[in-house]
Amino acid sequence: MNLEDFYRVIRNSHVRAQGIVDTVAEPLLVLDSELRVEASNRAFHETFKVDRDETVGERLHELGNGQWDIPELRRLLEEVIPKSTAIVDYEVKHDFPGLGLRTMLLTAHRLYHPDNNARTLLLSMVDATERRKRETEKDLLLGELRHRMKNLLALVLAMARQTSTEGRSAEEYREAFLGRFNALVRAHDIAFAESSGIGLWDVIEQTLEPYKTNSPAVMLEAGPAVALTPAQLQPLSLVLHELATNAVKHGALSLPNGKIRVHWLVETGSKKLLRLSWQEISGPSVSPPKVTGFGTRLIQVAAAELGGNVELNYEAPGFRAEITMPLGSI
Amino acid sequence: MRKTVLIVEDEFLIALDLALILERRGWSVFGPVASIEQALRLLDDGEAPAVALLDINLADGPVTLVAQALRAKNVPFVVASAHSRPELVGGEILAGAPNVGKPTDERRLLAVLEQALGSSN
Repeated sequence: MNLEDFYRVIRNSHVRAQGIVDTVAEPLLVLDSELRVEASNRAFHETFKVDRDETVGERLHELGNGQWDIPELRRLLEEVIPKSTAIVDYEVKHDFPGLGLRTMLLTAHRLYHPDNNARTLLLSMVDATERRKRETEKDLLLGELRHRMKNLLALVLAMARQTSTEGRSAEEYREAFLGRFNALVRAHDIAFAESSGIGLWDVIEQTLEPYKTNSPAVMLEAGPAVALTPAQLQPLSLVLHELATNAVKHGALSLPNGKIRVHWLVETGSKKLLRLSWQEISGPSVSPPKVTGFGTRLIQVAAAELGGNVELNYEAPGFRAEITMPLGSI
Repeated sequence: MRKTVLIVEDEFLIALDLALILERRGWSVFGPVASIEQALRLLDDGEAPAVALLDINLADGPVTLVAQALRAKNVPFVVASAHSRPELVGGEILAGAPNVGKPTDERRLLAVLEQALGSSN
């Protein structure tokens, strides 16, 4: 049924036409050339909380205490429609008393009458408020996701660029880079797997897992339960990874009998402090590096990121690192 | 003019990467700082840097206030952002600022900073 037929039905058999109009799910008005309502449907009455009696015969801008007195809409109906035959999905933002601020998509068709010159408008309105809100939320989410992805790529680039090539074969470079890359991947895995607090024990255990080929060498001693936040996870994992690779290259894990003791305690004073200790035993004698390399800088900035600091001690009986960082009130 | 650069970036590894690149090329790095508060304090306290390199989204908000403080001191700034139009996030003051992008290409970073340094003379 085209619009002209539809209009004829409304004129010729009003009761039947009203039934048809009422089945249309979207609010619908039929307006005469004076913008007076000739017919309205149930969806219109329900959406705008009015009844048929106070609607039919009224002028559009006087409806419901003037809630449709929207200058933009009047201009549209009085000026635009006479020149064209239809307006499709014209967006109007309006504060409807009792409904609040809504975004309406208006579609208006001018109906043509072969028998006389009367102008009639069919006006339908779709409440797109929720749809617009969802679209905005989706855009925000996609923007955020894109931003995080770029950040992650920048992190990987930083590791690839800063992992030293000096005195290394291509294979050694690859191993060093992938070690750091995997530490980053593991930190992400743990963060995604745990919805609530992330246990310190699990973080240490999983970060050191690749180095436990000779498991008695790493002695992990549980201290008081500590739950880490996702923001603490990545820096701490990277620090542990750097300590472990250094131990393999220059420290206790470079010798068959070398051992590492990892333990921690929590100080409760005015604020909670975690003291995490990494003690290498029976390793080679070590001395501080002559140049501060990327690894050492990484350990320092990661500790600063945790709001704490790290002490690196190269004296006998073996290399020792002590990380001090504040804990949230968990 | 002394090659000094203030780095404002809240992702510590990215900040370290940028700092190391620039240090190797003879720049003295101020910071890196991770927040608006730290950046403003650093600008208030001492010598102004010759140029600044800014991330847009910081933990305590967009970098706008830092850009305004730099403008007031006539310090040119360059942004390092994944946003193609940083002014949409950080306000009009960022419109037209050179963007070295994120991830940041090393050659582009060095070229754009040298150019900014030239313009500050």
